[in-house]
Amino acid sequence: MTHSPDSSKAHSDNTLDDVPSGGRVLGFLVAFFAVMIAGLFALPTPTEESQVAAGDGDSADGSFAILGVRAFDGEKMLTEVDLLVTAGRIAAVGPGLEIPEGVARIDGAGQTVMPGLIDAHVHSWGSARSDAVRFGVTTMLDHFTGLDEVTAARQDREAGGATDRSDLFSAGTLATVEGGHGTQYGVAVDTVDSVEEVPEWVAARIAEGSDWIKIVVEPGWREGINTLDMERVSALIREAHARDVLAVVHVSRLDDALAVTELGADGLVHVWRDRIPTAAEVEVFKASGIFVIPTLVVAEGMADPSPSMAMAEGEWGTRLSDAQRAGLNQRFPAEAALPMDVPKESVRLLYEAGVPILAGSDAPNPATAMGLSQHRELALLVESGLSPLAALVAGTRTPAVAFKLGGPARGTLEVGAIADLVLVDGDPSLDIAATRRLTDVFKAGRRINLAASASTAEEIVAAAPEETLLSDFEDGLKTRYGFGWGETTDSIRGGASVATLTVTDGALVVTGEIKAGAMFPWAGAVVFPGPGAMEPVDLSARSELRFRVRGDGRTYTAMLFSGDMTGIPPTRTFSADGEWQTVVFALDSFNRADPSTVRGVAFTAGNPSGSFRFELDDVEIR
Amino acid sequence: MSQSAADVLARSELEPLERPRFRAVPYLLEMQAELLQTWRQPSFSIPTLLFPAMFYFFFGIVFGQSNGYSSYLLATYGAFGVIGTALFGFGVSVAVARESGEMLLKRVAPVPPGAFLAGKMTSSLVFSGLVLAELFGLAAIFGGVRFERGEWIGLAAALLLGSLPFAALGLAIGTYASGNGAPAIINLIYLPTAFLSGLWIPIQVLPEFLQKLAVVLPPYHLSQLALGVVGRSVGQPVALHVGVLLAMTAVCLLVAARGFRR
Repeated sequence: MTHSPDSSKAHSDNTLDDVPSGGRVLGFLVAFFAVMIAGLFALPTPTEESQVAAGDGDSADGSFAILGVRAFDGEKMLTEVDLLVTAGRIAAVGPGLEIPEGVARIDGAGQTVMPGLIDAHVHSWGSARSDAVRFGVTTMLDHFTGLDEVTAARQDREAGGATDRSDLFSAGTLATVEGGHGTQYGVAVDTVDSVEEVPEWVAARIAEGSDWIKIVVEPGWREGINTLDMERVSALIREAHARDVLAVVHVSRLDDALAVTELGADGLVHVWRDRIPTAAEVEVFKASGIFVIPTLVVAEGMADPSPSMAMAEGEWGTRLSDAQRAGLNQRFPAEAALPMDVPKESVRLLYEAGVPILAGSDAPNPATAMGLSQHRELALLVESGLSPLAALVAGTRTPAVAFKLGGPARGTLEVGAIADLVLVDGDPSLDIAATRRLTDVFKAGRRINLAASASTAEEIVAAAPEETLLSDFEDGLKTRYGFGWGETTDSIRGGASVATLTVTDGALVVTGEIKAGAMFPWAGAVVFPGPGAMEPVDLSARSELRFRVRGDGRTYTAMLFSGDMTGIPPTRTFSADGEWQTVVFALDSFNRADPSTVRGVAFTAGNPSGSFRFELDDVEIR
Repeated sequence: MSQSAADVLARSELEPLERPRFRAVPYLLEMQAELLQTWRQPSFSIPTLLFPAMFYFFFGIVFGQSNGYSSYLLATYGAFGVIGTALFGFGVSVAVARESGEMLLKRVAPVPPGAFLAGKMTSSLVFSGLVLAELFGLAAIFGGVRFERGEWIGLAAALLLGSLPFAALGLAIGTYASGNGAPAIINLIYLPTAFLSGLWIPIQVLPEFLQKLAVVLPPYHLSQLALGVVGRSVGQPVALHVGVLLAMTAVCLLVAARGFRR
């Protein structure tokens, strides 16, 4: 400290007043903290992004033209054409079009316009349809989902097509047996228990709105699994055909594929993984006219998810919704891994024989993501021996033709077709990876906001049901309202914990084991009070979560999923000892939870490692 | 803090005639000198400003984003950052000032004794603010962290206020340690307790006996307060955390006062 002479003589009663005023530092401090506080107000909050997404604009009357663009029309490449869209449909395609005044123009130089991709094998729920469309998949063919999804998809289509999400066609539920593949997801499935039931079962599906019938022939993935016998498969195919709908079959072995082909199946929704077919066997498929959706990307993900994970880096990573990222981060058990040479070589033989190949991802299985995985599937088809152009056909026109998706000309650029369009940089008929350089997606002529938050902005929130009691477990795992119960574990975060749900003596018994692996290991049960898994329901009029519990003395966690799911969900803890006790948590005691969009409630065990067991009963949100 | 025993002693020696009126100027000048001194000391300012942001970037964003704990670790690395700033800002500089005779000079100089502490406190808060600005910026831009407005503000406030008990701890160390010894002593306390308090990786990941042990570590309580603001604490009462931090402050100030009197 120096004491320089200063003009201030105000404090003449003090001998040490000849000092600088200190005003500079005061100014600095005020400015510093003002900037800091202003900075706090500039930080992003969960709601701001949805507002931005909702404000996305379009050309005034919805007409636009893409000029001087390379075009893939569903079959072949056209160079240097113009494409005009009016009223959500393709109005004209050709070189040197006359573009009316007032129509928005997009310079297509160096780019390729193509029909929106069709993913021929998905399981759609939650944000799947809006997630897929941001990656250029404008139509999806679903092979097992809930009834609400089927109904909503049909309504959208009947209203002239969605403009902010993919169109969806669906098999609805699937044909399987008690304890067979498809029953492990905690969703009630109407099983086909005898051949006599078949006509009634198919009629019920068509009444529900299924667009085709999906049949499961799966003897393999776990010891002691049940599957349909060929008598019932045959009856299902015949019944479907009698009612003029397609019958497609899930197989994993070549022998089953041959058997169902001979029974008249219209398509296989996976390629087999056990052996390469002989020439004679390929001829069986060729002669039958059956089509194949290889879903190579899901098979690849079992052995090596790294190509899919690599696609989620960089700019695409920022476009992923939480649901997409969660799917990608999930893993199949290691024993599911098989070499890719059998499926790839089989696809090559089928393709060269002329069997129609359809691109489909089987998202959102582990290591896949809606939309994104379809681009990997296209690349895998090229790796199997299809030309890039043939892979594009497999991802656009072929699925539309094979599933008779009907006019006007889905998967093509024909005049009159719904303007579901994708614009990419480069030429995907030379390099299939060009499909990943998406610059624009149009759904029914409307530009899609490619940012991830678009998916949550316009989500429909289900109204609150009248009942408050979710489950008393007197009637199995059923819920009085909502989507139902399921297991939840840290496997989606790379963990190894396991959980099993059983209903015994009118209570839900949750057993399992916490294993090291994930950052926050967890395992337990989750219930979805909304219409689908993680779909929101408005429970803002409810005030508490109430349930009865007993267990092994461990501490457990109740977790409430709600809102836009950007943060880590809030939790409350409870302990469960040998005596039944009633636990009540006020909904507003879950920090930051949004009761107007409740998506799920999980009851889980966490650290320390080891086995756990608890029982739940009378779970209620009231 | 200006009423500590050391201050009273100093005052009684230097100003036996009358109690001086409060004047802001010496305080401001001390703040200015302190800020400049700290800023011009790269061996302090660079690690203080860079390390928490660097650690958060590696653990909270590169690692953390795919697992969704970027927002959790923002609170804990925020605590890590402000604790380091307070400990080093107070501890090392007080030790050096004592050893170099600067402290003696200040005692005999006609400066209110509180100005010395106010200066240190200001520079500590400014540097803590800079550390938090870096972390919040990284979190929002690269980590995809989204909080409600009140949570952002509450987190900043909890961390800034929560750094003060650690300033007291730094002061206590600084009054006993030598200038060379202080950084070593502080690191020996700072780094292990940061880890054991769950500031680097979430407390839930630590073995259970360490989780229980963490309750005796002050950084654990600051991190739980910060996590509480964003709804991620383990759920112990806020009063426990505040109580532990206040108790530590009181003990440290007593120790510091004894140290000054030596």
